[in-house]
Amino acid sequence: MVRKIVVRLFIGIVLVLLYLPIVWMIVFSFSDTPSFSNWNGFTFQNYIDLFTGQSSNASRIQEAVVNTLFVGACTSLLSTLLGTLGAIGLHAIHNKRIKAVYSTSNQIPMINSEIVTAIALALLFNLIATVIPISEGTWIETAIKLILAHTTFCTPYVLLNVLPRLQKSDYKIYEAALDLGCTPAKAMWKVVIPDILPGIVVGALLAFTLSIDDFVITKVNVTSFETLSTMLYGLKSGKHPLPADIKSLFSIIFFIVFAAIMIMYSPKRQAKQNK
Amino acid sequence: MRNTFRKMLATPYALFMALFVILPIILIAVYAFVDSEGAFTLLGNFKELTKEKSLVNVIKNSVIAGLSTSLICLLIGYPIAYYLTKKEFNRTGVIIGLFLVPMWVNFLLRMMSTKAVFNVLGIPLGMGTVIYGLCYEFLPFMIMPIYTTLLKIDKMYLEGAEDLGATPVKAFWKVTVPLSLPGVLSGLTMVIIPSITTFAVSEILSDNKIKLLGDFIYNLKAYNLNMASAISLVLMVLLAVSMLITNKFSDGEQGGGIW
Repeated sequence: MVRKIVVRLFIGIVLVLLYLPIVWMIVFSFSDTPSFSNWNGFTFQNYIDLFTGQSSNASRIQEAVVNTLFVGACTSLLSTLLGTLGAIGLHAIHNKRIKAVYSTSNQIPMINSEIVTAIALALLFNLIATVIPISEGTWIETAIKLILAHTTFCTPYVLLNVLPRLQKSDYKIYEAALDLGCTPAKAMWKVVIPDILPGIVVGALLAFTLSIDDFVITKVNVTSFETLSTMLYGLKSGKHPLPADIKSLFSIIFFIVFAAIMIMYSPKRQAKQNK
Repeated sequence: MRNTFRKMLATPYALFMALFVILPIILIAVYAFVDSEGAFTLLGNFKELTKEKSLVNVIKNSVIAGLSTSLICLLIGYPIAYYLTKKEFNRTGVIIGLFLVPMWVNFLLRMMSTKAVFNVLGIPLGMGTVIYGLCYEFLPFMIMPIYTTLLKIDKMYLEGAEDLGATPVKAFWKVTVPLSLPGVLSGLTMVIIPSITTFAVSEILSDNKIKLLGDFIYNLKAYNLNMASAISLVLMVLLAVSMLITNKFSDGEQGGGIW
């Protein structure tokens, strides 16, 4: 009994410490002051200003949100495509050596230090710039660079989410579709893809969130615009490092993420997965 | 060959990896052995690195921060992972989800809020607060692999040990702990090297007083890509060695990833 209480208390304290800074930020997003310590009365004003574009950082925030979402969406699309095809291909390859090389290369961006991956990609982009003349520092150049860099570290997660689904699904159904006269491409689209769709969806969401959250690789390779992460970094040493509108923006993001994850880990969905 | 079509689907990602994963690593290796004029130099960049006065301090700080972070994460993370595998503490799996949610909140934001909390509480910023921030950032990376390995352990082993007369405590140390080692090892590799190579955490939580390897490489990148490559190469070799050791201990079986 005592042990039970002690364990509960321990888990509780760690959770409180993990959530304290987040809750602190959310609480002060409803305060009528830019500071982090003086409570100055409850208000929705920060949220209203954020949406009506009247807050101090409104245009900067808007741009950063658009850039981040654009890069995130393109990254998610590209890495889901590459990762899904890669997983299907890897699953069909039986040559042990090729399989090992393929999955090891896939793991490198996951294991490597982010800063090393970032430098490595910066070197690659330097090299590419000497071969293909692209005007540096334009919006589209930075966007393409970031999408490619993010795809590099997001695709491994997509592939590793799709692969277990393939291993569970019955390969004979695909063969049957071929026997019944489907072309391989059609059989793939009609039989295999629907079967592994849950894995693809989770992979795509994961890639999207990883891209949106990324800081190190973005910061090293970005040349012309801000994402949410680099904007935060730029604010870090200001007088009030987190202005009111930034607090409310990230509070909204937190609630969306929290809801999404609680749905992902909900008992109902877990039960479904175990079937 | 009915498999040919499916195998061909692996090609686009194979080409992508060749260009964006393998080639960049080759570039790092090339840059590490070339000086800024492009002439070959075997140890030139490494010698330049040893001349950087701040590097000694950076390495000292990184070793202290990395070791204490991984030790603290292990001491906090193992009991949490262990008790969360028990039904009485984690009935529906929601609790383990709660430990993962903060990971999806931008880490810069969490660090800046943490700094604000420290400021309000009047806690001076320094090595202690940096280690706190690193533990905050990396605790889930320790909990998850240990949790997944513990879940996989067959309960029969524990029942067997107790049937043969072991006390629950003894059964835990003799059965559960050894069987969970692969998870511990993969947790450690997921904490040590990432924790010393992140940048911005130490900058924010020590008011720029303490620099870790990640900050050092980032600053180096701005003026000398060759030296940055040299130190990156060293890090990659270290990482490869630690991966080899981990794989040896877990007999080629994955310790269980975080996702």
